[in-house]
Amino acid sequence: MPKYSFATAATVDEAVRLLNEPEVRSIPLGGGTDIFVALRVNPLWFDRLVDITHVPELHHIGVADGVVSIGAAVTFTQALESELLQGVAPFLACACENVGGPAIRNSGTLGGNVANAAACADSLPALVCLDAVVHLLSPAGERALPISEFVSGPHQTNIQPGELITHFSFAQPPAGARSAFIKIGRRRAQSISRLSIAAIGTTNAGGAIDYIRITPGAATPKTIRFTPVEDMLKGQPPTRELFVRAGEAMSAEMISVTGRRWSTPYKEIALKAITERVLAAIFLQEAQPC
Amino acid sequence: MLIQFTLNNQPVAVEAPSDITLLALLRDHLRLTGSKEACEVGECGACSVILDGELVNSCLVAAPQVSGRSVITIEGVRAPDGGPNDMQQNFISYGAVQCGFCIPGMIMAGEALLLKNPQPTRQQIRVALAGNLCRCTGYQQIVDAIEATAKSRARQRA
Ligand code: FES
Ligand code: FES
Repeated sequence: MPKYSFATAATVDEAVRLLNEPEVRSIPLGGGTDIFVALRVNPLWFDRLVDITHVPELHHIGVADGVVSIGAAVTFTQALESELLQGVAPFLACACENVGGPAIRNSGTLGGNVANAAACADSLPALVCLDAVVHLLSPAGERALPISEFVSGPHQTNIQPGELITHFSFAQPPAGARSAFIKIGRRRAQSISRLSIAAIGTTNAGGAIDYIRITPGAATPKTIRFTPVEDMLKGQPPTRELFVRAGEAMSAEMISVTGRRWSTPYKEIALKAITERVLAAIFLQEAQPC
Repeated sequence: MLIQFTLNNQPVAVEAPSDITLLALLRDHLRLTGSKEACEVGECGACSVILDGELVNSCLVAAPQVSGRSVITIEGVRAPDGGPNDMQQNFISYGAVQCGFCIPGMIMAGEALLLKNPQPTRQQIRVALAGNLCRCTGYQQIVDAIEATAKSRARQRA
């Protein structure tokens, strides 16, 4: 007897119906890059996989009325190759380029990355910077909540049984916004983030920073924007000296959330350094990793 | 359950359990053992195959997920006479093969790259191989062999 069964959904409605059939614990299957790894270490937690990767809407990337939407089954490769995303949110495309190796990027999906909610999930910092909204569908109807509320901790989300993530949406960032993503792993490719950072910002006609969002990844249990640091940057002319202070403030903010832990001596220095680099990439036009 | 798909350009229909991976389907049910089983968690690339034109780790694909789709495995990569194709020949002549365990995956990654990008830079070749581990060669010769293949195919097209 197989340990679990398999079904393929052709439409979003069919996926939701299959996920909610009584007495069959069903979970959506995207790229499988997390599920098949977890299956090797965890006891079986479902009776059926529902393949959602054939649902056309779930692969949609588009913009309407200034709102960008990305389907849950969009793969990292589709996201990083999307001209729309390269244009409106290059740091999200860059984060997707940093995921795993090519085979993982061809299979793994943004919906899966967010649903799995690893603290080190590469797509999270950029999505949190963008104040992305997670759209969910269940027999009860649609539900939408901000990504920083949806992901409540490492491998913890507020998804309810039977709910399917259909897509993410975010307001198109201001024209002229520049963004960057930096990841530190043990090696360049196929590595898990030890620490990462995403930021997006603009300066006004007077040369002062007038829009800035900054979110570190794998720094705090919940991936959140560091708004106190954003506030200290706003209204200031972008200088190296300011970015050094911002780096110190980022580390201080991280420690105020996590306390001092075994990894703090490393992360304190590393977060400071990548903060300076990400801000220099955006505001001082310094070379970006991608 | 019955899984029907196109394998190395031939239609196949195979009865298999619903709870296995594509790698197990290939190796245990179709007796195609060229795709190697190693880490089984997507870290090493030894199990790489091309699914609808894109490189994937077959250890992370559910077997029924390939229904109606096209899979190319290392067994499907060969010269018309059944011998090694140009890339495989280059792996031999550039000394890119030692124990050989990673090589089916390396060839699939190389072929998948050239499908998408027929004239890659060395850096692009390295990025394309980022998910494939080799414990023997140090990669240099593998990059050389793929680069030489891309160049000779470009010459042939010209
Ligand atoms: S066996 Fe599939 S990636 Fe290692
Ligand atoms: S040749 Fe031995 S692992 Fe690559």
